[in-house]
Amino acid sequence: MAARVVTVNRDTKPGIYPVLVGMAITLKNMLKTMFGGGAATVQFPEQKRKTSGRYRGIHILTQREDGTPKCVACYMCATACPAECIYIEAGERPEATIEKYPTRFEIDLLRCVYCGFCVDACPEEAIFMSRENDLVGTTRAELIIDRDRLMERAKLVEYGPGYRPTDHDVRRPVRIAALERLKHEHGIVLGPPTR
Amino acid sequence: MRAGGCFEMSTPPKMTKITIDGKELEVPPGTTVIQAGLMAGIEIPHFCWHPDLAVDGNCRMCLVEIEKMAKLQIACNTVVSDGMVVRTTSEKAVQAHRTTLEFLLVNHPIDCPVCDQAGECYLQDQYMEHGLHDSKIQPEEKVRKRKVVDLGPIMLDAERCVLCSRCLRFEAEVTHTNSFEFVNRGDHTQISTFENRPITHNYAGNLADVCPVGALLSHDFRFKMRVWFLEATESVCTGCSTGCNIFIDHRDGEAQRLRPRRNVEVNKSWMCDIGRREYKEIALDTRVTGARIKGASGWEDASNVSALDVLADRLEAAGAASAFLATPQASNEDLFAFRTLAERVGGMLDFRVGDPQDKVRVLEDGVLLRADRNPNTQGCLDQGLGRTGVKEILAACAAGKVKVLVLEGPELLRQPEAMDAVAKVPFVAVMATHEEPILERAHLVVPAAMWAETDGTFTNYQRRVQRFRRAFAGPGSATPRWELTARVLKRLGAPLAAGSTREVFALLAKAVADYAGLDHRSVGAGGRALTPRPGDVATQEARA
Repeated sequence: MAARVVTVNRDTKPGIYPVLVGMAITLKNMLKTMFGGGAATVQFPEQKRKTSGRYRGIHILTQREDGTPKCVACYMCATACPAECIYIEAGERPEATIEKYPTRFEIDLLRCVYCGFCVDACPEEAIFMSRENDLVGTTRAELIIDRDRLMERAKLVEYGPGYRPTDHDVRRPVRIAALERLKHEHGIVLGPPTR
Repeated sequence: MRAGGCFEMSTPPKMTKITIDGKELEVPPGTTVIQAGLMAGIEIPHFCWHPDLAVDGNCRMCLVEIEKMAKLQIACNTVVSDGMVVRTTSEKAVQAHRTTLEFLLVNHPIDCPVCDQAGECYLQDQYMEHGLHDSKIQPEEKVRKRKVVDLGPIMLDAERCVLCSRCLRFEAEVTHTNSFEFVNRGDHTQISTFENRPITHNYAGNLADVCPVGALLSHDFRFKMRVWFLEATESVCTGCSTGCNIFIDHRDGEAQRLRPRRNVEVNKSWMCDIGRREYKEIALDTRVTGARIKGASGWEDASNVSALDVLADRLEAAGAASAFLATPQASNEDLFAFRTLAERVGGMLDFRVGDPQDKVRVLEDGVLLRADRNPNTQGCLDQGLGRTGVKEILAACAAGKVKVLVLEGPELLRQPEAMDAVAKVPFVAVMATHEEPILERAHLVVPAAMWAETDGTFTNYQRRVQRFRRAFAGPGSATPRWELTARVLKRLGAPLAAGSTREVFALLAKAVADYAGLDHRSVGAGGRALTPRPGDVATQEARA
């Protein structure tokens, strides 16, 4: 296949016309942003971007009624995790209704790829994701977040829930109870995931 | 008996021809269908059948279709006959598997997320393979039984039990302790020990192994690790001279548990709890991680090479005024290198600290545990390491005739009565795995790798050479003993013509007549018995 050769004469002066065209585009966009509404940028961190109802942000561990983690340390999330960022140590739950619970549950947020596989893998609906996404720290160590940090409710209220088990299993009594509790205690209503 | 014919008692029994799932095979008469299936690589689903326990036939999981038989038969208790045609995956058989599973799961709590058996659970595997039915039973309707019952080394969860009676048969046939019994009837049947007494015998770990589900679980391994994270390495237990075949289950360079590896000739499917605890020694923080030499101002850290060079120079100077004590904890390869060094220097050589050779074949509890708690005393004997005599060496030490004493392990230092003699030796070098106060008596300490950290072979009480493999690296600069010895030999100008344990073993096979013709490959996973010598295993075993 023969290539088409285009010869450009660089010696001719372009003149003012192309500059004016460029300036016109810039001016148009400036006016659109100022008066037409709809700037593409936001004033972070004062202003937050709107994120989807299934946004995959920092993880949340759900709680039982007594405030202990719902997690039973089955290691399903750690097994599914492609980034190997979940570290769990299991221990004996003091009251022996459900024997096992995580004495340590840590997620290395710098390793995490926010794929949400842990949420999909969890058989207990113990882990889901919030829409929190501003990940700031001065050392690597402080971005390995532990069980207590993962169980903080305030963050969830502030940012809202993100990716969580899909609604096909809403029938399950466990899930209904969890939803009711969330609504009752934190005023969060989890409808079907919205975009 | 027909006229003209007679029974030929001496001819080998005629093989029986059978067909399983279209595969034709010949098996010895008396084989059961389930065993024949395993020979053909067909695993018929089962719970209660165990290769080393009596057939019970209670779980009804191994039902198979056999031509010319009206009903399905249990594969574990049906003996093959000539021309038998078995189908394990026919519609009828598969339906039977599903139905059996459904019954087994009626009262099962399905608490796999908290159950340590998950991942190696027959029930879980079979369900994924054959069952996959929707349960007709709601969790609230299930019969509740006792959970989290602490039986000492074992945790009992009666809800998970499938009542296969493997544990009962193990207790009855192997340990003869009969700790377990079924109590109650019907749906409420469960296993229990009398008055919930803990299991006190030395084989409790096997109960967790034989249990096909999570009803009996090891207390030691409880909640420690999910089994699918573990990597298994073939090894041999170092707890005593029996040399049970084991797997080291490890993750990220840390041994998590030991479990028996089936070897019909040695340990069948069992191992004792003393052996099971051996792995804990490996990760202790008292491991010796670097070499050190006692200088004028106390201990000075050194590299392995520089420390061993000091030892080599000392040995060169001492010549015959040196003594070598091998350890029955070391592998055949370690011992051979050590023997080569002793012969090169020309010093005294022995290994019999505490007379392990008298206890090699003494069975302590009638099952597996032997009185000699060293894995390789027989290897020492085979290589002829018992030469000078420990008493004679100590006498020479006391008389000041020993300038350098090389210890392959710290056993001698643990003998209080030897201390006066050892104190007279100007230079004591020891290869040690763990820090102990007694190491203060040495002048040079080099870090030795433990069995899980090196390749090699042990020779057990039956004179069976068994291979163990390296699972992970040792801490710090811990090095296999044969490599440490080889370094000294190199400095002495007589390097060992081997760069790996396989090559050391090849040298050993040339030098020791009994091991002739053996190599690591021919020893293989199951080990190789050496040709028995008159008055060897069988006779002494009977006496013990």
